[in-house]
Amino acid sequence: MGYQTFAAIDIGSYELSMKIFEISSNNGIKEIDHIRHRIELGTDSYFTGKLSNERIDELCRMLREFTQIMKSYKVDAYKAYGTSAIRETKNTLILLDQIQTRTGISIEVLGNSEQRFLDYKSVASKGQDFQNIIEKGTAFIDIGGGSMQISLFDKDSLVTTQNIKPGVLRLREEMSRLSYRSYQLDEIVDEFVSDRLQSFKEMFVGNRGIENIILVDDYVSLIIQKGLIKTNKSGHILVEEFLDFVDQMKQKKSQEIAHTLGVPEENTSLLYLSALMIKDMIKILGANMLWAPGVSLCDGMAYEYAEKKKLLVESHNFEQDILACARDINKRYKSSEIRTKEREQNALTLFDALKKIHGLTKRDRLLLQLAAILCDCGRFISLNNVGENSYNIVLATEMIGLSHLERKIVAYITKYVTEPFEYYETLGKMTTLTRESYLRIAKLTAILRLAEGLDISHREKCEQISISFKEDSMIITVETNADMTLEIGLFERNATFFEEVFNVKPVIKQKKKNF
Amino acid sequence: MAETYDYSKPEYYYNRELSWVAFDQRVLGEAKDKNIPLFERLKFLSITASNLDEFFMVRVASLKDMVNAGYEKKDIAGMTAKEQLDAVNVATHQLVEEQYNTYNRSLLPLLAMNGLEVIERHEDLSAEDAKFVDRYFQDNVYPVLTPMAVDSSRPFPLIRNKSLNLGALVAKKDEEKRLIRRHLFQRKSGTVEKELELAMVQIPSVIPRIVQLPEKAGVKRVILLEQIVERNMDKLFLNYDIECVFPFRIMRNADLSIEEDDAADLLKEIEKQLKMRQWGQVIRLEVEEGMDQRLMEIIEKELMIEEQDIYYIPGPLDLTFLMKMYGLPGFEPLKTKPYTPQPVAELAQDANLFEEIRKHDILLHHPYETFAPVVDFIKQAAKDPDVLAIKQTLYRVSGNSPIIAALAQAAENGKQVSVLVELKARFDEENNIIWAKKLEKAGCHVIYGLVGLKTHCKITLVVRKEEHGICRYVHLGTGNYNDQTAKLYTDLGVLTCNEAIGEDATAVFNMLSGYSEPLGWNHLALAPLWLKDKFLFLINREKDNALANRPARIVAKMNSLCDPDVIKALYEAAAAGVKIELIVRGICCLRTDVPGIHNNISVRSIVGNFLEHARIFYFENAGKEEIYMGSADWMPRNLERRVEILFPVLDESLKKKVWHVLEVQLNDTQKAHILKKDGTYEKVDRRGKPLYNAQEEFCREYMQLATAKVKEAKEQRTFIPETHMDET
Repeated sequence: MGYQTFAAIDIGSYELSMKIFEISSNNGIKEIDHIRHRIELGTDSYFTGKLSNERIDELCRMLREFTQIMKSYKVDAYKAYGTSAIRETKNTLILLDQIQTRTGISIEVLGNSEQRFLDYKSVASKGQDFQNIIEKGTAFIDIGGGSMQISLFDKDSLVTTQNIKPGVLRLREEMSRLSYRSYQLDEIVDEFVSDRLQSFKEMFVGNRGIENIILVDDYVSLIIQKGLIKTNKSGHILVEEFLDFVDQMKQKKSQEIAHTLGVPEENTSLLYLSALMIKDMIKILGANMLWAPGVSLCDGMAYEYAEKKKLLVESHNFEQDILACARDINKRYKSSEIRTKEREQNALTLFDALKKIHGLTKRDRLLLQLAAILCDCGRFISLNNVGENSYNIVLATEMIGLSHLERKIVAYITKYVTEPFEYYETLGKMTTLTRESYLRIAKLTAILRLAEGLDISHREKCEQISISFKEDSMIITVETNADMTLEIGLFERNATFFEEVFNVKPVIKQKKKNF
Repeated sequence: MAETYDYSKPEYYYNRELSWVAFDQRVLGEAKDKNIPLFERLKFLSITASNLDEFFMVRVASLKDMVNAGYEKKDIAGMTAKEQLDAVNVATHQLVEEQYNTYNRSLLPLLAMNGLEVIERHEDLSAEDAKFVDRYFQDNVYPVLTPMAVDSSRPFPLIRNKSLNLGALVAKKDEEKRLIRRHLFQRKSGTVEKELELAMVQIPSVIPRIVQLPEKAGVKRVILLEQIVERNMDKLFLNYDIECVFPFRIMRNADLSIEEDDAADLLKEIEKQLKMRQWGQVIRLEVEEGMDQRLMEIIEKELMIEEQDIYYIPGPLDLTFLMKMYGLPGFEPLKTKPYTPQPVAELAQDANLFEEIRKHDILLHHPYETFAPVVDFIKQAAKDPDVLAIKQTLYRVSGNSPIIAALAQAAENGKQVSVLVELKARFDEENNIIWAKKLEKAGCHVIYGLVGLKTHCKITLVVRKEEHGICRYVHLGTGNYNDQTAKLYTDLGVLTCNEAIGEDATAVFNMLSGYSEPLGWNHLALAPLWLKDKFLFLINREKDNALANRPARIVAKMNSLCDPDVIKALYEAAAAGVKIELIVRGICCLRTDVPGIHNNISVRSIVGNFLEHARIFYFENAGKEEIYMGSADWMPRNLERRVEILFPVLDESLKKKVWHVLEVQLNDTQKAHILKKDGTYEKVDRRGKPLYNAQEEFCREYMQLATAKVKEAKEQRTFIPETHMDET
């Protein structure tokens, strides 16, 4: 049979859901079942840091039922991701082990940026609709239970992404602690959310014009998808119409909303809060159109699986997004664009030439490129300790599409380009890095140090470099007419580390250009 | 400008209970109809009796509960429970009177004329016959009887619901020996002549009610069991003299309202309720006309029954025995020739159903067409190695159901089998629990209904892993998965592998398994959450079309119509100009004499040999016709308190076939009763119209189709090799 059956399980803040997909290179991804169970894990974990025994029992019972369903579909593979509700438990490891023992299901905890990236991928999988939208200034808003993620697109690449608390469930819990009259809810939410959104706008939006909002959430999207608000095109709605809809909701009681919209009454409070949050975003970001593609994390998981199994042609260049994001950070911290470009090129030339020696992957190439782009951003804070500063900036800045570990690797590389390299035996006690990750850092650092060494004076002297190997040496021929005395003189310092890592001695040679 | 009316006023509605009695009257009409073969008339009379039993146990009981609870809320027609109860009493007494008039004056003489003599009183037996029945009593009846005498040490016994009993007044032979008794009677003269005790015996249900006597001069003769017991009463109470013996029968409140929220284990709760049911309040007492007044008084007092709830019966109690009489061999010319459900013309014998369904949707029209494809659908799925899962809702199934067997086999074959068994199906609980346990034992995942809701929808989903992906095969029907009733009830079903319907079917079973509702539906509409709104939307759309001068017409066929919101919407649509033709077999609270509806609504009820059971809904929709079928009537209980499914007929050729079903029924001039403006029903005025019987027409059509197919096969000039052996 030319297709695979895949189950995606999302252990969310207020819902446990599983989608069964059929994936084939001919027909793409087809959803064949969607099972949902309402369980507010977030209510426990956000406020107590633990899940109650009752919730764990319920979760396990449902997961056992899910395994039965998977069995009935004879699924080829499954993935179970826990998001913020699991992530924010204090005893995550113990919890996950307990669940696996009781249900046989192994849950992986998604970092925020990984989770958002999957959401983003599922939207991007909508193909042409997505490409058309992001041609214009677009904000991608992903509202979860614990937090929301706002990402901005510029010229069809995602350039910045920020995680902002609260999400809708957390907001409801916050509101429940306040005493207010129902008609005041609108204003209180506005006060609560607007301040954070305003800061986001000032720092990241600047003078970018936002015309569209892409919305991923569990409540409002559904209403838009169902066509319960007047729309011209399925899933698309003009913001004026949306704002009218929110005003109408304000007048109604929970029961009435549930009846009119055909949603369970238990969902109406979260639906209304989501709508108010979106209203605030529209007000601050300014947009003309809202698009709710109606996708969920499970769709992203299927997309990821299909990609991994090479059953799918990538519909959007996500690496380009990550690079655009890094460049945007660089710009924010006022690093030299030309220098960065040269360092980037040199590093990649070295990486490609060393292919047979380093044994690294395409993904590592991307990490190297990111480190090359970002390793100077620490200068914005201080000209001393640039490495340490860059490390801190990278670690604190989200890049959608990078896992937390990958971000950490990039951060370490940017640090060790200029700072003394720490050996695993020393670092091991203080870090959670695995040996494998550590080695990746070491190798990529060695390459980037060498690339950095080729332009130590920061005068962009190298016009072109070529690499050749001779016995145990790697000959780097730099084609330039500039004075390379400094670079050649200090090359030794970086070369030693390179030689230690790869057991190849790098030699720099200058080749003057003929006129 | 046209006058507008408030169509929610109670005067625009009929009371549902009285409408039900009117329905039973229509069935009784069949028993009275001289054009119908004699034994069919017996059957109809028996049906009126069992209908009435159920009506008492559920509806009258419920009214009594309301009166006892002081419930003052008025019904759709503006009547309080007390007013309804009074009116129902009058109507049912009249109905019973007509039942026995029919039995005594028409049917009994006709039976005698046609070679079947019913000996009504044991006193009329000849000496030879008396000897025969006494021997029969000794051999067969006596061992299973439990005679009971009532005195202070033995309180008034439990009289089982619906059981037939003999009550007797007996006197001790040895008058010197005085007993302490509960009941002491004196003759009216005031002088103590005899001290009488109450004695009772239940007529056993394990022995046939009709006992055949030896034939005499080619005439078959029968006597009822209670007459034989009555004759031999002295053998049960040896030391007593029998003063008098009379049969009586009681009906108890059987309204099974389970407090589901409190029931930790629904199954146990139902078992408990079943035991308790026998103890419910007595709501009806039937006694033989002329019962001894002294006996009457004791029974009346002990059962705490009011005079208006006593029915004095001029004949044998409980006419349901007539159904058994129908089964007596040798009277075939007095019965309608039995109809054999025909094979489905488009399905070859032993066809692979999955292949056939993949070609196109298949419509099944029962009982004209056989129910076998539905059973085969499950059977084939159970054996098919590519089938992953079978999911089905079961409401009422037959005793030895082949469907249950196939489901159990599927589970044993490793398929994932999920079955929702509705334990709350009225009067069937005991039966349901037995086979639900059987399924569970076989490894099926059994869901015992949903808290607070009855699952009435009829849906089966088969999930099959095929070359190009998962394929879902769905059967949706208007009738229960019961191979026995499928021979008597007219129902429709569709077999399809339409992807969107398959998605919806998956979502239905996810919901039934307790998971959240789907994010949206493709084609199906479900009660109790969406169905009523869907119907109101469809009716209102016709109204809007009529107002905009676009074609607007509704033809709806169902069993009962009593939802006030739907009726109001129908009135409004009719007032706007929508032509509405309703085919409602039973209860209909809608009136046709409502102002402003311009004769736009007509109601007809078809009562025939088969029980009309299908629910079909046609909407003209400005020329883009839509036809739906489903499990729900337009009743509040279906739309608000049950899980029901409405599904569209999507395939154009199937749509034509379903429309044809409606059209034929609208043309019926023989079995259709028309609701008149005064609320009564009357057969179609046939002047100038040919005699046309819809059910017979369907029998004819399906037989012709089957014959044509056989002919076609015979005319083929190629041989068709048998590819596999029949499994026997």
